Amino acid sequence: MPERVATVVPEDGLHARPGATFVEIAADSDADVSVAHTDGDPVNAASMLAVTGLGIEQGDEVRVIAEGDGAEATLDELERVLTTPEAEL
Amino acid sequence: MPERRVSGVGVTPRSGVGRAVWHAPDTELGDPPDPESVDPDAERERFESAREAARAELRAERDRAADGVDESAAGVFDAHRQFLDDPQITDGVGEAVDAGLPAEHAVERTFDRFVRQFEEMDGRTAERADDLRDVRDRLLRLLTGAGDARADLADLPDRSVVLAERLTPSETARLDPNDVAGIATAAGGRTSHTAIFAKSLGLPAVVGVGDALHEVAEGTDLVVDGVAGRVVADPDDATRAAAASTAAVDVRDAPARTADGTQIEVAANVGTRADLRRAADHGADGVGLFRTEFLLADRPSQPDEAEQYAVYREALEAFPEGRVVVRTLDVGGDKPIESFDLPDEPNPFLGERGIRRSLGPDADRFETQVRALLRAGAGSGGRLSVLLPMVSTVDEVVAARERIEAVASDLDAAGEPHAMPEFGVMVETPAAVLLAPDLVDHVDFFSLGTNDLAQYVMAADRGNDRVGDLADARHPAVLRAIRATVEATAGTDVWVGVCGEMAADPGLTGLLVGLGIDELSASPVAIPRVKRAVGDVSDAAAAALAERALGAATREAVVAAIGDADG
Repeated sequence: MPERVATVVPEDGLHARPGATFVEIAADSDADVSVAHTDGDPVNAASMLAVTGLGIEQGDEVRVIAEGDGAEATLDELERVLTTPEAEL
Repeated sequence: MPERRVSGVGVTPRSGVGRAVWHAPDTELGDPPDPESVDPDAERERFESAREAARAELRAERDRAADGVDESAAGVFDAHRQFLDDPQITDGVGEAVDAGLPAEHAVERTFDRFVRQFEEMDGRTAERADDLRDVRDRLLRLLTGAGDARADLADLPDRSVVLAERLTPSETARLDPNDVAGIATAAGGRTSHTAIFAKSLGLPAVVGVGDALHEVAEGTDLVVDGVAGRVVADPDDATRAAAASTAAVDVRDAPARTADGTQIEVAANVGTRADLRRAADHGADGVGLFRTEFLLADRPSQPDEAEQYAVYREALEAFPEGRVVVRTLDVGGDKPIESFDLPDEPNPFLGERGIRRSLGPDADRFETQVRALLRAGAGSGGRLSVLLPMVSTVDEVVAARERIEAVASDLDAAGEPHAMPEFGVMVETPAAVLLAPDLVDHVDFFSLGTNDLAQYVMAADRGNDRVGDLADARHPAVLRAIRATVEATAGTDVWVGVCGEMAADPGLTGLLVGLGIDELSASPVAIPRVKRAVGDVSDAAAAALAERALGAATREAVVAAIGDADG
């Protein structure tokens, strides 16, 4: 299953705008996307509640997994959100 | 009574003095009925229609926050929409309804599970619990038909200090900084959305005070000290005096001047008669943009000359000393109007809108409006100004001017009192920027509509999420267009205003002053904070910031320059 591991760059982690953008991309994708801390259990990346519940902060290492149509393209977009400073998003 | 102090976390570096007003909405639902008596299908439908209504409210409140507060505040409501539509919420409510709970109890149970889960975590996740409560309470209110407890917050006595266990973001958004001297909550943290709103509104605020706050009785005299992070009950004279030195000054009565004394006009964007009163209440120097198309919206026929005349007179009377800039009809694009037969265009933003219609199919309407304007301006001492939207050629400006002069000679011939208004054009197309050195010969002022200017310079639709980020006025290309417009007026008497969202953002006030802008026009509620931001900046710092921003090649570098100037 395609996956990516990235260290979170945005200052707000996956809260505020980066979190909202991340969830929106996952929700709009045809692929099923999940996200987890590299040492934790994956949750539905299209759920704001689930993603917020992970408490992902700047500097955390996370794993994103996608399955289905457009999985790679979705992962590319999500990786960009994870690795781009907030001001450039 | 000797003064008493309780400590919390200060979120705004300001103090306020006022009287305690408790906000304690009652959200008790009572016990659920017998599951046998509940029809799950009907309850699902109730939930769905409440969710739909909540979505519509969130959209409206988002727009109001974007207009009246700022984008970071507006983004809070986007997050709420994501919670509202979260699959875990819809699944959770669905299951609870199937188990025999009415929709409201199902909503309460589902949200509360996540509220508890968030509260067990640290930091930012814990603070999102307030957002969940806000979305929950919104749905419960819609499901139970309860009154909107937030209505009380919009209409508080002057100098109120609002005390609450917690204030949700949408409650905080209702507060009018002109009535409220400060807020203090028992719960909440520095990065909560409530704190973000308080900061954006410039409200003195202390959060996370704890249970000690509940010992403060209604009506107690209070100082909310956002600098030290404490609330002082029955303050002595020394405490009051100290608070006054960092108080949120009432800037409404005075014109805005930079630290060096340069006066910047701070005017209001208005669209209705109610806006005129709000603009005057909030201390606007005048009207920087009267969007007259709103007078036409949601009505089958256009207001006639007499009605328009009355509205323009009213605007002049609302600001006996100030200028009133009336933009002529700006329909087309994203502004469909019922009483207009607008063509179906494949690309309305690049289609027949603004002055293009006024010189074409709406020539009669334009003439009616100009007649009303010229007559209303009689005896106003030249305070009435007319502003043409969507200009992209010199010919349009010349043609519009000729029509205005023709109306003036008709009025002359009829012996009607009238006056020639000050004459300006919107700079919102790249063409207008490039032609600015020629346009200065034909106008008295430019008004930069930075929302559309950003959209047209960046070739990016603001409403399209995929590219909306490009339509940000902080991109270097947009700033350079603003600068080019100002430079074209050097050595002339032509003044330059900004009437886009930029003008309402106090974080950008210094930059705009540095770019050489003479007038900022913003929504009425934003006027006090824009005036304060003008007073906080020195001419030299503003000029240095503008130089740095103009030298930046990326938006990130512009944002960094603004951030450095702030810190």
